[in-house]
Amino acid sequence: NMVRIPRPRRFSTGATSDTSSSTSPERGADDDNDSIMINPNDSISSLAASVEHDRDADMEDRRPLAPIEALPAELMIAIFARLSSSPQDLRSCMLVSRDWARNSVALLWHRPQTNNWKSLQTVVRTISNKSTFDYPQLVRRLNLSTLNNQVSDGTLMAFRECKRIERLTLTNCTRLSDQSVKPMIVGNRSLLALDVTGLEGISSDTMLEVAKNCYRLQGLNITNCRLVTDEGLEAIARSCRHIKRLKFNGCNQITSKAVLEFAAAAQYLLEIDLHCVHLLEDDAVTALLSNGNQLRELRLSHCSRITDAAFLNLPTNAQYESLRILDLTDCIELQDAGVQRIVTAAPRLRNLVLAKCRQLTDRAVIAITRLGKNLHYIHLGHCARITDAGVLQLVKLCNRIRYIDLACCSQLTDQSVHMLATLPKLKRIGLVKCDNITDRSIYALAKPRNAGNAPNIPPLYAQANFIPGYNTQNAMSGATPSSLERVHLSYCRNLTLNGIHALLNNCPRLTHLSLTGVQAFLRDDLLRFCRAAPPEFNEHQRNLFCVFSGHGVKDLRTFLN
Amino acid sequence: MSAVPKIQLTSSDGAVIEVDRPVAERSVLIKHLLEDLPEESTTEAIPVPNVNEAVLRKVLEWCEQHKKDPPPSNDEDSESRKKCTDIDEWDQKFMQVDQEMLFEIILAANYLDIKALLDVGCKTVANMIKGKTPEEIRKTFNIQNDFTPEEEDQIRRENEWAEDR
Repeated sequence: NMVRIPRPRRFSTGATSDTSSSTSPERGADDDNDSIMINPNDSISSLAASVEHDRDADMEDRRPLAPIEALPAELMIAIFARLSSSPQDLRSCMLVSRDWARNSVALLWHRPQTNNWKSLQTVVRTISNKSTFDYPQLVRRLNLSTLNNQVSDGTLMAFRECKRIERLTLTNCTRLSDQSVKPMIVGNRSLLALDVTGLEGISSDTMLEVAKNCYRLQGLNITNCRLVTDEGLEAIARSCRHIKRLKFNGCNQITSKAVLEFAAAAQYLLEIDLHCVHLLEDDAVTALLSNGNQLRELRLSHCSRITDAAFLNLPTNAQYESLRILDLTDCIELQDAGVQRIVTAAPRLRNLVLAKCRQLTDRAVIAITRLGKNLHYIHLGHCARITDAGVLQLVKLCNRIRYIDLACCSQLTDQSVHMLATLPKLKRIGLVKCDNITDRSIYALAKPRNAGNAPNIPPLYAQANFIPGYNTQNAMSGATPSSLERVHLSYCRNLTLNGIHALLNNCPRLTHLSLTGVQAFLRDDLLRFCRAAPPEFNEHQRNLFCVFSGHGVKDLRTFLN
Repeated sequence: MSAVPKIQLTSSDGAVIEVDRPVAERSVLIKHLLEDLPEESTTEAIPVPNVNEAVLRKVLEWCEQHKKDPPPSNDEDSESRKKCTDIDEWDQKFMQVDQEMLFEIILAANYLDIKALLDVGCKTVANMIKGKTPEEIRKTFNIQNDFTPEEEDQIRRENEWAEDR
């Protein structure tokens, strides 16, 4: 054997992993402290001693070295890492030999399986007893969200010795409180992400403990943790300086004070969700934008105190090139001037949600056209003051729009939809309660896209429902079939079967079609293909409900043909 | 266009192998070595003391095949690569060797710092482990079970949770 790579010292507890951490290209920086894999207790030291003895005495004589035993621990670990997605395979590796056990145990316990009650119980049993390995130190990810409300404080307490957890996910484990979450945090210097969504028993107590221990924290999701106050969050903002993602949705005790503290050190912040943080004010939004140079996503829906000033107070000429997603749903004070300012300051916005910003007019829509090709997703539902003129400009200048919602924009007419129908990448269109639109709109949507050409309004008499050869003809002229996938037309009461029939036959990707409240479709022979109404609907709502999705769309198409 | 520059490598058992410099530079170790050498010294054979001739020739065969591959991807890609065990067809054939050669290729790839080859090697071994019972794995690799029955039983119990699919 010519390969003279030094053999690892075998059966020396821990030493092999120490060397591997510094040299292996396959191991993450997270794994740098795996050395103490085996409990320093009596049973283990005796195990190690007996092994040394075996080796000296007879094993080497009895058996030639297997070729695989030429590989040092770091390479065995690199191999086992390819099996990370299969706990069964890693477990089999653990049972092969002592060497194999030592090199695979950290990978197996990186994220123990806790998505069903039986697995969770056996994991808990193992970490609660004196064991072959120091399993609690190996756990890096713990996710109890699948078992949600079955998990009690007592169950989580069993994991309190797992001090190296990096990702703790307790989403909707609603029975958990400070009593168990706090001890999980005490002494943990490794935590990167904490998700306690929906834990109403969590207070600033736990948050203060996070601030005291988890300096490396990058992500915090306390959605609907209504007990949490500014105090706990301000402490986290001051001590955790690498925060990237924050979700404080529905935390209705939080004010601008806490958010300002995060904004003051926002250099790494990528994403912040503040839906329904009702007390939030303009100054916090201004500070987040002006300090968060990397901020990509800002969600502020239902923050009813936000006004134009949040954006008008941004430093002149400042540009926020990173911002891609802005959600201002139901920020009812917002007006055209605020929208003008933010789209100028954030020219690369891709998703803009302005639903229920009822004061907006065509002036805001014209401002949005500055986003040009960057705009992919725009929601203007319930902005009832906008007109065809605004929509025409929007489509002309933002032709990469894939998703548009104009629900309840009741001034819009077929003219708008004809223009929208030319968008080459349009996948989803929402026109619920746009009561002026007629079948002419639907024919336009059904028409294959002719890239670059202005739409011709097809004469009504020419609309056979499905003309054989229609598609071939268009294929020859270079047109592509519609890319529409989801079409929302509920309460567009003028629509008839003919238009929809054409839509079905010309939109091969259609998977969702809503026609609730459209009289022409409330017929038993068609409703057969409609999906069931949500259980919470009352009788009246049930009678109007008409949504086709997935197979329903296909079946309806087949039936009409 | 000038001819492709050649260099010489000396294996651990003294064989001198001539190879196109760009092929040898798939090895980050050799690439750095060459960069550090003064221009005139690159005519001398470079010793590769940890790899014998048979293995070195095999490794260079792989480097020749992959000499035009794009440079190694960033960390995120290697993270996803780590998880999957797909191997392209040529590499699969290339890895159809006896176990001794297989593990020597892996050791050489590690020593010479050829990440993509190390990756293929690790995947090949992982695929040999997949779906097997501990006893089948021992048989495949000729590994001695050095657990006492009690130890084996305890580890089995401690990791019972990993049984369920």
